Amino acid sequence: MSIMSNRTRSVLTGAMLMASIIFIPLLTSIAMQPEPPRPDSREESSSADPWRKALPPYRFSFPADHSSHPDYKIEWWYYTGNVTSGDGRRFGYQLTFFRVGVDFAPQNPSRWTVRDLYSTHLAVSDIDGGKFDNAEKINRSGVGWAGASTENFRVWNEDWEAKLERNGNHILTAIDGEIGIELELEPGKPPIAHGDRGVSQKGSTPGNASHYYSLTRMPTAGHLIVKGERIKVSGLSWMDHEFGSSFLEKGQIGWDWMSLQLDDGTDLMIYRFRRQDGALDPHSNGTIINSDGRYFTIAFDRFEMEPISTWRSKRTGAEYPVEWRVKVPDKGIELTIKAAISDQEMETAESTGVTYWEGSVEIEGIHRGRQVRGRGYLEMTGYAGAAMGVLSE
Amino acid sequence: MIRLFRQFILRHLGKEKIRTFVTVLGIALGIAVVVAIQMTNSSSLRGFEKAIETVSGKTSLEITGSGTGLDEMRLNELNWLRQYGRISPIIEGDAEIETGDALSETLRVLGVDILRDRSFREYKILEFAEQRREPRPDEFLTLLLDPRSIILTERFAERHSLKVGDQVLMTFSDRREQYRIRGLLKNEGPARAMDGNFALMDIAAAQQAFNRIGRIDRVELLLRDRGGLDEAEKAIGAKLPDGLSVQRPARRGSQVEKMLEAFHFNLTALSYIALLVGLFLIYNTISISVITRREENGTLRALGVTGKQILALFLTEASVLAVIGCTAGLLLGRLLAFGAVKLTSTTVNALYIATAAEPPPLELKHAIIAFGIGLPLSLIAAAIPALEASGVSPTSAMRGNDRIETRFRLRPHFLVLPALLGLLAWWFSRLSPVNGLPAFGYAAAVSIVFGAAFMAPAVLFVLGRIGDKPLFRFFKIEGRLANANLSGAIPRISISVAALAVSLSMMVAIAVMIGSFRQTVIYWVEQTLKADLYMRPATRNNVADDIVFSPEAERVVAANPMVAAVDRFRNFDISYGSGLVTLGTGEFDKQLRHGKLIFKAPADGQQAMRSAIGQNAVIVSESFSIRHAKSVGDTIMLDTPKGETGFRINAVYYDYSNDRGIVVMDRGTYVRYFGEPQATSLSVYLKPGADADRVRDDLNKQFGSRFNILIYTNTSIRQEVLRIFDSTFSITYALEVIAIFVAILGVASTLLTLILERSREINILRLIGADRRQVRKMVVIEAGLMGGVSQGIGLVIGLLLSLVLIYVINVQSFGWTIQFHLPVGFLIQSSILILLATALSGLYPARRASKLHISRQQEEE
Repeated sequence: MSIMSNRTRSVLTGAMLMASIIFIPLLTSIAMQPEPPRPDSREESSSADPWRKALPPYRFSFPADHSSHPDYKIEWWYYTGNVTSGDGRRFGYQLTFFRVGVDFAPQNPSRWTVRDLYSTHLAVSDIDGGKFDNAEKINRSGVGWAGASTENFRVWNEDWEAKLERNGNHILTAIDGEIGIELELEPGKPPIAHGDRGVSQKGSTPGNASHYYSLTRMPTAGHLIVKGERIKVSGLSWMDHEFGSSFLEKGQIGWDWMSLQLDDGTDLMIYRFRRQDGALDPHSNGTIINSDGRYFTIAFDRFEMEPISTWRSKRTGAEYPVEWRVKVPDKGIELTIKAAISDQEMETAESTGVTYWEGSVEIEGIHRGRQVRGRGYLEMTGYAGAAMGVLSE
Repeated sequence: MIRLFRQFILRHLGKEKIRTFVTVLGIALGIAVVVAIQMTNSSSLRGFEKAIETVSGKTSLEITGSGTGLDEMRLNELNWLRQYGRISPIIEGDAEIETGDALSETLRVLGVDILRDRSFREYKILEFAEQRREPRPDEFLTLLLDPRSIILTERFAERHSLKVGDQVLMTFSDRREQYRIRGLLKNEGPARAMDGNFALMDIAAAQQAFNRIGRIDRVELLLRDRGGLDEAEKAIGAKLPDGLSVQRPARRGSQVEKMLEAFHFNLTALSYIALLVGLFLIYNTISISVITRREENGTLRALGVTGKQILALFLTEASVLAVIGCTAGLLLGRLLAFGAVKLTSTTVNALYIATAAEPPPLELKHAIIAFGIGLPLSLIAAAIPALEASGVSPTSAMRGNDRIETRFRLRPHFLVLPALLGLLAWWFSRLSPVNGLPAFGYAAAVSIVFGAAFMAPAVLFVLGRIGDKPLFRFFKIEGRLANANLSGAIPRISISVAALAVSLSMMVAIAVMIGSFRQTVIYWVEQTLKADLYMRPATRNNVADDIVFSPEAERVVAANPMVAAVDRFRNFDISYGSGLVTLGTGEFDKQLRHGKLIFKAPADGQQAMRSAIGQNAVIVSESFSIRHAKSVGDTIMLDTPKGETGFRINAVYYDYSNDRGIVVMDRGTYVRYFGEPQATSLSVYLKPGADADRVRDDLNKQFGSRFNILIYTNTSIRQEVLRIFDSTFSITYALEVIAIFVAILGVASTLLTLILERSREINILRLIGADRRQVRKMVVIEAGLMGGVSQGIGLVIGLLLSLVLIYVINVQSFGWTIQFHLPVGFLIQSSILILLATALSGLYPARRASKLHISRQQEEE
């Protein structure tokens, strides 16, 4: 299967920016540190950036492009999903693998040389139990403790992994003590490529972009481990895979992003940037994917996102809008999005050190005049002090 | 009573300043030596153990490999460890950092994956990114990413005025390179190790720097459930694959402790000799106090002071002297410890571990040692003369007839007791060591010493009988008088003579032992060191450490046109029994062709060594053979990465380079079980006609400033061996000198006692025409006689002791064969010196004697 993205749409996705923010600490600290003196190669090292840039055209090819693209500095695989047990208990999960290139061609023959850093976030929301738990890992490849294969897609961090089966299904395994997931995801709708000619442009500079595609509705079955209990579940998942070398934007203090799966088969991704000056950001954006797989971009001035109520985190003091009203008048969409649990705040002190809110949401509203319900995921960044500080650096 | 004490004792002590001083000095020196040795012993261990403790942080358990660390790919066999908690792979070693012109210090370097390791140890970065905040994990990592990055400690940086961003020159194993300081650690967590001589690196950089690519030193484990340490250790131990083992971090310290045990035990035993001699001095001093105040004593008794009160007075006096002496000894001990640490550190560093060069601060336990030993012993020493004084009746005390037992009668027990002690010594010397320590060996030595001490009166008696004529011939009437005086005071002087004889016999014994040992080592070095050049990386070797050559350096050596053969030797310490032994490997055929080991067994050691090639067979050093009671034909079990394996001992060879024992296998055998060896030292054989000095200079030039490699020529390695040898025993000599000094003080104060006791006779001598010069001469002769007799006894007993030292104590604690060798020159020299020194020590008593007032004596007569 292959997709040639030929639509002239500048899709700067929220997922991309979400990850950018998480990785700003990494990117800035790695990119901004003075190049260490290396007497033998001082001239070369200062001249060229060895990482490949995301430049058009790019032709996606599957299943090859599910695998890792180590020539690019940044890459991630992002899975979220909402599932239900046989007795009707509702759960949400998130599993994200990040790869950040650190040293394109290390001189040190040691296996521990940090060519790439792998960090992984896992979260499980027990909606009816009102409980949210998360875990994280960060590793260098070392002796193979973490990695991403370049063929036959598999990305792993210790014993957490995501991989592609021969039948095209994605297998997710991640268990950390009391919580975990063991899920099999069918591809569902075909992958959609964002942006123009396989490139999702992030700024005016060429190469300030990424290659980015999504699987927006993946039928999911398997088990969740919640409080040590192994529960058989089924539901829907969402996968994003993105790779590029540089895509930072200044002036933004954070964003609010959501992926919504409606019960009429429509999927909606939508986000807005929050700017320091409070103005509407033209990069805010959305995508609607019809039940037949066709998809359309929604420009920043064609939708509204309005916070309705907030929740304050006792741990970090950050105040997050946990209830939203979303309107896309052109498409006849008017939805109320509500966090399934208020506290789905992620603190990732051990890996990236950034705090953000990422969690399962429940949807109610109207699509083309019909009552719809749905489930989805909401992400909010830049509310906790640490992330703001990092962002403004 | 207090007033009495003040008038009777304190005033007296104040008046007799010199004697008070001598006594206090004697106690102080005795205590100081004991304290100093305690401190020195603990400093070499303390540094090491403390470093382990501070560096290991919260680590619950560590997984180590048999052999040189563990192959890092084996980590993948250990993924199941995650169910117990977190794991962190570690590289640890010592590196040299240049701190100024020709100055360098050793840093303990920890190479970690900081992403994992922060939960094991507390690293607090000082002013990260110019802010007072801690870096995030990824930020911390970026500090270390470049292979030439290093994080030092605030303390070290302050000592050497270094700051973040500065470049420092460092030597890891054999390579010298610039590193950039990327951060400083606050004085917390591991940064406290080795007084701040700690450095943090990334594991990848550390692997490269230490030439340990592909392997790690250990895996540390931080248990999720800290309470279940015992069960976890057991469960993990049972589950670990072959060649890996689990232990607690402290175990490394206890292994080193065990290794240093014999060395420390021997030092401690020596230090007690100085104390013993000090005790004789206390006895003397209190005797003097008693005797010189016999009239006052009598007066007091006549005035109604009871004998018990008199006893109390003298014991209080002894306590005062002891408290002052112990306090002074404690402080002096701390000072001496600086010297002692310096004297022993070369040995400890050369043979065992790199240690901190500073003694520990004074602690309560040192005070307890000092007072716990000094006070009771002083009181016992004082009790004997004090009891005498309290038992004297008032009248006889006032008349001055209180001298007890002035005449000596040769009773059987003076011969029987020494004979019994001699037998006891012989029996002790045949017993096996206790826990590998020569406890009975020392018991034998002590028996001999006491035997000699008890024999002193008999010897003095006999010598007094036969000494009259020769002394008269040499020294005229003064000689005869001196002899008569001493013969008349045998009970009094025999203690001083015994004390001096004991110290001298120890000196003689140690001199004979060291002389024999040195001779043996010289012979061994000449026989076995056959290579033209010896090379090793310049960083100091540590037991827990593993310093190997980098391949580039080896290529430089191999490429030299004058080099005929290079014998690559690899050695490191492995666990054997409860301690460590050295496992070495080289190429047996090269060694057989070029080198020349001296074999203890079997008769044809060369052939036995040759037949070990290709077999599961080894050759072992004599010290291994003796310590572990294994010999030719026995099989020893060694932990290898392939699991526990038996190796047959084909031959036992002589070696004096380390006392924990060496097991050597042929390279082929080694490769089968441990993998390809990296070299820790190179023996280079040159082509005929090559000039070793020139080749060394050439190699040094080629190595330039990039490498830091020590190259010894055959001549210089021999010098180096002897230098280490001599420095090993410098502490022994230092202790001996102190003991002898204390003993001579004893002679002087004994003479003083005698003079005071005999003041009446001396006055009569003066009255009948003896002039001051004659009296002086007489006293000096007496001093010389005492010294001479002591030295005579010392020589005889010393030779006996040396046999115990060489054939019992040495073998039991170090496992070395030493050929007996008499250092005649040294013995003659020291005998003359002792004679002169004791005679000189008689000068002060002689002056006192010649100045005695005639008038008062006349009245009495």
